[in-house]
Amino acid sequence: MSMALIETVNITQKYGGQEIIKNINLKVEQGEVLALIGPTGAGKTTLLRLLDLLEAPSSGSIYLDGTEVTAGKRLRLQARRRMSFVLQKPVVFNMSVADNIACGLKWRKEKESAISRRVQDALELVGMTEYSNRNARTLSGGETQLVAIARALAVVPEVLFLDEPTANLDPVSAARIEEVLAHIIGGQKTTVVMATHDMSQGQRLAGRIGVIINGELLQTGSPGDIFSTPGDTRVAELVGIGNILGGVIANRDNELAGIDVGGNIIQAISEHGIGAEVHALIRPEDVTLALHKDTSSARNTFEGIITRISPVGALVRVELDCGFPLLAVVTRRSARDLNLAVDNRVYATFKATAVHVIKRWN
Amino acid sequence: MKRKTIIAILAGLLLLSLLASAAGCPAKTEAQYPLHDPMVRFKIATTTSLYDTGLWYHLEPIFEELANVEMDIVYAGTGIALEYGRRGDVDAIIVHDRAREDVFLADGYGINRRNFAYNFFLIAGPASDPAGIAGSTATEALEKLYNAGLNDPNAVKFISRGDDSGTHAKEKLIWSQAGFDYEEVRNSGAWYVEAGKGMGPTLLMANEMQSYVMADISTFLAYNLKSNLSIVSIVEQDPIFLNVYAAIAINPETHPKAKIDIANRFINWLISSDVQDIISTYGEAEYGRSLFFPIAGCDMPGCPPVEDYTLPVPEYTGG
Amino acid sequence: MTEIWQGLVTAVKLIISLDPEVMQIAGRSLAISASSSTIAALLCLPLGAVIHFNRFPGKRTLINIIQTLFSLPTVAVGLFVFVLFSSVGPLGGFGIIFTPAVMVIGQVVLITPLMLGLIISALSATDKAVTDTAVSLGASGFQMSVVTFREARFGVLAGLIMGFGRAISEVGLSLMVGGNIRGFTRTITTAISLETSKGDLELALALGMILIFIALVINIGLNRIQQR
Repeated sequence: MSMALIETVNITQKYGGQEIIKNINLKVEQGEVLALIGPTGAGKTTLLRLLDLLEAPSSGSIYLDGTEVTAGKRLRLQARRRMSFVLQKPVVFNMSVADNIACGLKWRKEKESAISRRVQDALELVGMTEYSNRNARTLSGGETQLVAIARALAVVPEVLFLDEPTANLDPVSAARIEEVLAHIIGGQKTTVVMATHDMSQGQRLAGRIGVIINGELLQTGSPGDIFSTPGDTRVAELVGIGNILGGVIANRDNELAGIDVGGNIIQAISEHGIGAEVHALIRPEDVTLALHKDTSSARNTFEGIITRISPVGALVRVELDCGFPLLAVVTRRSARDLNLAVDNRVYATFKATAVHVIKRWN
Repeated sequence: MKRKTIIAILAGLLLLSLLASAAGCPAKTEAQYPLHDPMVRFKIATTTSLYDTGLWYHLEPIFEELANVEMDIVYAGTGIALEYGRRGDVDAIIVHDRAREDVFLADGYGINRRNFAYNFFLIAGPASDPAGIAGSTATEALEKLYNAGLNDPNAVKFISRGDDSGTHAKEKLIWSQAGFDYEEVRNSGAWYVEAGKGMGPTLLMANEMQSYVMADISTFLAYNLKSNLSIVSIVEQDPIFLNVYAAIAINPETHPKAKIDIANRFINWLISSDVQDIISTYGEAEYGRSLFFPIAGCDMPGCPPVEDYTLPVPEYTGG
Repeated sequence: MTEIWQGLVTAVKLIISLDPEVMQIAGRSLAISASSSTIAALLCLPLGAVIHFNRFPGKRTLINIIQTLFSLPTVAVGLFVFVLFSSVGPLGGFGIIFTPAVMVIGQVVLITPLMLGLIISALSATDKAVTDTAVSLGASGFQMSVVTFREARFGVLAGLIMGFGRAISEVGLSLMVGGNIRGFTRTITTAISLETSKGDLELALALGMILIFIALVINIGLNRIQQR
């Protein structure tokens, strides 16, 4: 089994008595792009700082390439010099863009010729070559971010940490940064760990996702895994699964299970036994609405009354009461065609395969 | 980098000044004070009355030239001068309190005491003399001041040196001769003010407050002319007012680093006829009379025995 | 009022004529205070960095003590230093009592808490992100402190200037340990004290104005450097 590039074992971080990071065990594989997603305040930044050895954990250990690097100033400095970090609100020093980018190299006592070459490469990578001699403090937010990224890449790190790279930017700059990042990820062999609260960004850029909520690492897996089959209701809420229905498995038929949710039976594919307390997770996009009962192969059809309608961008959110609350999302056109209005009756349908079942803990 | 050169230059300048001052030689030229051997510094602590009259300003360059040393004169009352002497922070002291001098010598801190000058104290006060002390003796005057001051502290005040100086010691002596307990006098009322200053500054204070004060005649005359005092000398003639100055060398057996050879030379120089001549005429031109009396002229009760001012001090041979 | 005007006139006369005694006294004030400020700065810059960048038990208390010592009375420090360096004192062997050297040492003791406290303050006020960025780019401890000092340079320089100001304007310590010896340890401030007590207010005022003038020149000079 290949050794992970970075591995944390039971790390915990406390600030003044409060646990910000609780017992996290995480492996970062060489060459992968890992996105840590979670709500603001979940501890993503703290975790990144711990991984980059900017802080020492209150307890637990961190390994880089198999060597423990948690303690010891020299060890940490040497390890840190193999990695780079781009802060959420990056700070540039009061000097030219080129000098900024050269900083990391100067501190590593690289030769002058090597430095200017690397600085040029980094500038080209982020497309900021014309800005080379400008004072870095005169740049806009997006430009500053690009300089920070270039500065971090100039030292050719083995691991690049990005903390919310587009969170503070306008959409145009954000798009540009993402473009640059995608290009870098595609071209370089750098391992990238990025923190973001934007699920779709994680989906777009990362090969693997880790979900951090309240200091705990709840789940890691491919974007598909996380988004379609979250293992925890908190993860489900985070990734936008609007329907989290609590119930009990009432009957079984081969691989199909019938879940009793408030008197109604929802058919789902699950292995849990009868009597198991579970949550049924259904993405609102998987719920179709019709004015008549559906006679297709879909196993789950329920009649319900519309309680609320709200537009969301180009789509429409429809909340129903089918004896249990159900959320559906349809296009505006569909909403018009179906003449959806509050208090109308409609039929909601979803396939058994669209229902993801997880055991209930609470 | 430009900034670095500026800092380097400044640092260089500072370093230069530091070295310069440490060597005792100011970075500027010293036109009026030719430098003698800066490595040999002869330190004396002197009573304020001799300092405030400018006598030392006059004598200092002469001795420096003669002995090729740098003289450092520290301004101190007799009390603090004795303390510096006990600590060995100076090489010789100039004081004027026989009783404490005797103790100082007996305790082994000083040797080779010689008297070299004398003058008198006086009591000065507002021209109107509200306490009516004119014509009294010293003890009578103090008694009158005490009563008048208690009676009306606004009209009658007395400013004491209050600093354990030789002058202060004499004042305390007169109080006890007059039958008073000094502690009681000090705390008796607002009329008795303790200045805690040197002779000159105390005179100025008395002048400001139009109060009575006991001062040595030399400082009084000097300040009378310089600062145009409005208080006047009221009580002068009284044997108890005799004020004899002494120079004492610090005992090298107690403080081996004391520069005894220079101190001896200094003391002998003070009692030499050259200096005695200077003392006899110092101030004549400015004040109409000399401010101090050469010790040889001292012929009243309380004057020191002849040996105390004529015998040159022996060379130090102790080990 | 006339004394102040007379004082100003006398001050100008003394400066223009380059009166040797006044020049000597002024030079000495400058030399002693510049030396003590430089030594204090060389002590406080690294010490301030060490205290600021490290976490250790009692750090808060230490900083509180330093700030309390800001207002050490000069006579108190003077007395303490005198007792230390007096011939019979523990450091008497150096034989520097009543010399400019002990005045420099005394001033260093006096202004170190002030300089140290202000330097630590200035460092604390810097954006933590700057330090973090430097560290994340692989700066060693020393390199990181250089970056932080550069960010904090205004506050740090202000601290150094304040220290110098306190040194050059103090009287109590210089009087006590220096002895106000004419031609050797007399500074502008001790000379002012002497001339005032002798009643020569004009000369005292003149010296005071020269002191202010010197302080002004130095301040302007240091400010120009700060601007760059």
